[in-house]
Amino acid sequence: MTTRLTEPDARGSVRPAAARPARSYRSMGIGGALVAVLAASLVLAVTIGPAQIGVGAVWQSIAAHLGLGTSTLPLTEDAIVWNLRLPRALVAAFVGAALALCGVVMQAVTRNPLADPYLLGLSSGASVGAVSVIVLGWAVALPLAAFGGSLAALALTVVLAGAFGAAYTLSPSRIILAGIAVSAAFSALTSVVIFWSTTGDSFREILGWLLGSIAGATWASVAIVGVAFLVVGVPLMLGANVLDAFAFGDDDARALGVNVARARWTLLAATALLTGAAVAVSGAIGFVGLIVPHAVRMVTGHHNRALLPLSALVGAILLTWADTLARTAFDPRELPVGIVTALIGAPVFAVLLVRAKRLT
Amino acid sequence: MLVMARSSLVAVVCSLVGALIIGGCSTVPATTSAGDSSVDQSSAVAGATAASVTATSDSGAVTTGLPAATAYPLTIDNCGTKVTFTAPPKRVLAIKSTSIEMLLALGLKDRIIGVAFPDGPYSPKWAPSLELPLISDKVPGEEATLAMNPDLVYAGWESNVSADGAGDRASLAAAGVATFVSPAACQEAKYQPHPLTWDDIFSEITQMGEIFDVPAAAATLVAAQRAQLIAVKRDSRRLTALWYSSGSKTPYVGAGIGSPQLVLNAVGLTNIAADVPMTWSSLSWEAVIAADPDVIVLVDSSWGSTKKKIAQLEGNPATATLTAVRNHRYLVVPFPAGEAGVRSVEAVQTLAAQLGKLTMP
Repeated sequence: MTTRLTEPDARGSVRPAAARPARSYRSMGIGGALVAVLAASLVLAVTIGPAQIGVGAVWQSIAAHLGLGTSTLPLTEDAIVWNLRLPRALVAAFVGAALALCGVVMQAVTRNPLADPYLLGLSSGASVGAVSVIVLGWAVALPLAAFGGSLAALALTVVLAGAFGAAYTLSPSRIILAGIAVSAAFSALTSVVIFWSTTGDSFREILGWLLGSIAGATWASVAIVGVAFLVVGVPLMLGANVLDAFAFGDDDARALGVNVARARWTLLAATALLTGAAVAVSGAIGFVGLIVPHAVRMVTGHHNRALLPLSALVGAILLTWADTLARTAFDPRELPVGIVTALIGAPVFAVLLVRAKRLT
Repeated sequence: MLVMARSSLVAVVCSLVGALIIGGCSTVPATTSAGDSSVDQSSAVAGATAASVTATSDSGAVTTGLPAATAYPLTIDNCGTKVTFTAPPKRVLAIKSTSIEMLLALGLKDRIIGVAFPDGPYSPKWAPSLELPLISDKVPGEEATLAMNPDLVYAGWESNVSADGAGDRASLAAAGVATFVSPAACQEAKYQPHPLTWDDIFSEITQMGEIFDVPAAAATLVAAQRAQLIAVKRDSRRLTALWYSSGSKTPYVGAGIGSPQLVLNAVGLTNIAADVPMTWSSLSWEAVIAADPDVIVLVDSSWGSTKKKIAQLEGNPATATLTAVRNHRYLVVPFPAGEAGVRSVEAVQTLAAQLGKLTMP
């Protein structure tokens, strides 16, 4: 591990890292608190819903499924707790964590504060894959198609940005522009599929993919996004040093001993995989990947060792509550959770922009 | 600038989605809740005798025997748009099954120059061997519509006659093309029937009879349908039902003020979504499971087949616990009959027949 004397800030300048140990302890404290909040959020979220089921009965049911005691709930209410609410809360947490993590990684690798899976076209690519297999009736292949679409969008974005060839320097603004182009093209493709194929009210099925929805999450969804998070997300969280190196620019990263091209491709492919898994179970949920890293950065600063896990935790908490709101605010009707994240995300982002301007 | 590009992208997707939602069908909430079934049924009975012997002309004079011929020019208020007919329409473009089948039921097949956006197979009652000129599986654009030179565009949904569909109503009127939207599908609060009643269904038939100057055919059809409706035996077992139209992640169901509610009432089933003041609405699976309906009405369509819906219900461990699913208590209604129109009575008949065969413990 390279010992560094400085750390980068948002404007790419470098300042002494004198306050680092204190900040590190502070981040650990925040992290501990967030773990507790996430656990409490999950515990609470499963007790809230359109069906009136007592809090005690909810936890008795879950305990019974875990082999502790027996549940007194009728079959249907037990199913509401164990097969609807719990998988849904877990999927929301994993997807929120995955998207926030992807946002941090992409913002670091592209050195652009606007990068996130949504903006770079990964989410739209995954949506094209998902919507296509839904229309073709091959729903079994959905996670694979979403990942394929996500990877294809990423490859197109990077190629468009002129980044193939091992040592080519990736320009932060070019990759964003390329991402916008790819995202627009893939969104258009999804729209074409919709206009082409929908009859009667079948478009409603696809609406969820466009807006992002966690309704219909099952234990299979938990497995898809949970395994992806453990296999891809957790290693990503441990790659903070490599991400920090990118902040100095490709040349400096190389000087710090990072194989820039390989690291970039590995990191971006990992985010594509994680985004694909998230979109496969929830559609294209916007703003989480963009907003959460910025919000966390305002509290913890820019070093990725704290930013990665804290963003994942905040993303998980945010989406857990956003989805709880989505399924209960208009009970017995539901909102796609993507509407909730956009409604929360847009004003938060506006505040961030204003504050950032004041600081400059 | 980058943010701008992003938000405009989002706006494009959102406007697309918005157009689809509007195109979907009634999503405008109304103020009153579900209709009282007893009122619906009694008004059907009351109207039956009147319509079978007499029909009223637009001047209000009651004639016995032969209904009066229509006096042109005829001006009507359709979903808030004034439409004037100077003669019976002869070149009609019909969009969606409800309008296509209305024309067929009134024996007006020869007035149809094109059909578009059908929701499924036509009822064999009026379509024994049918060759209708299908213009498009979807809603045709305004230019394609005008190129056919129709004198009437008869649409099942308001969105069919919008700038994103066959053309804005005012724009079509300026080109000499009259438009008519099935009044049951009117979206504006003042015009949307809430709740929809059998009189609303039958008055569209009467109004088409007036527009096309075939009042006798309309009166005969209304009388026949009222009689069929009265002949249906309402189920008295106080069973509850889910009207499952489409969707898998979040089901899209028949709610409290539209055609599904009207049909369920007539059959004697209690709609679990009767409290939602919409025609159709999304409903959370949790709410469905909490209500645990006795039977599930499956709306059969090419995009949401009965087989697919049953696989969805039985495949999801949560919905698999539903009483109706465990006991395979499914009733099936074809999608075109599920929308308000000349097949609404058919929907009641088929559901009542299927329900009669269901034995409950």
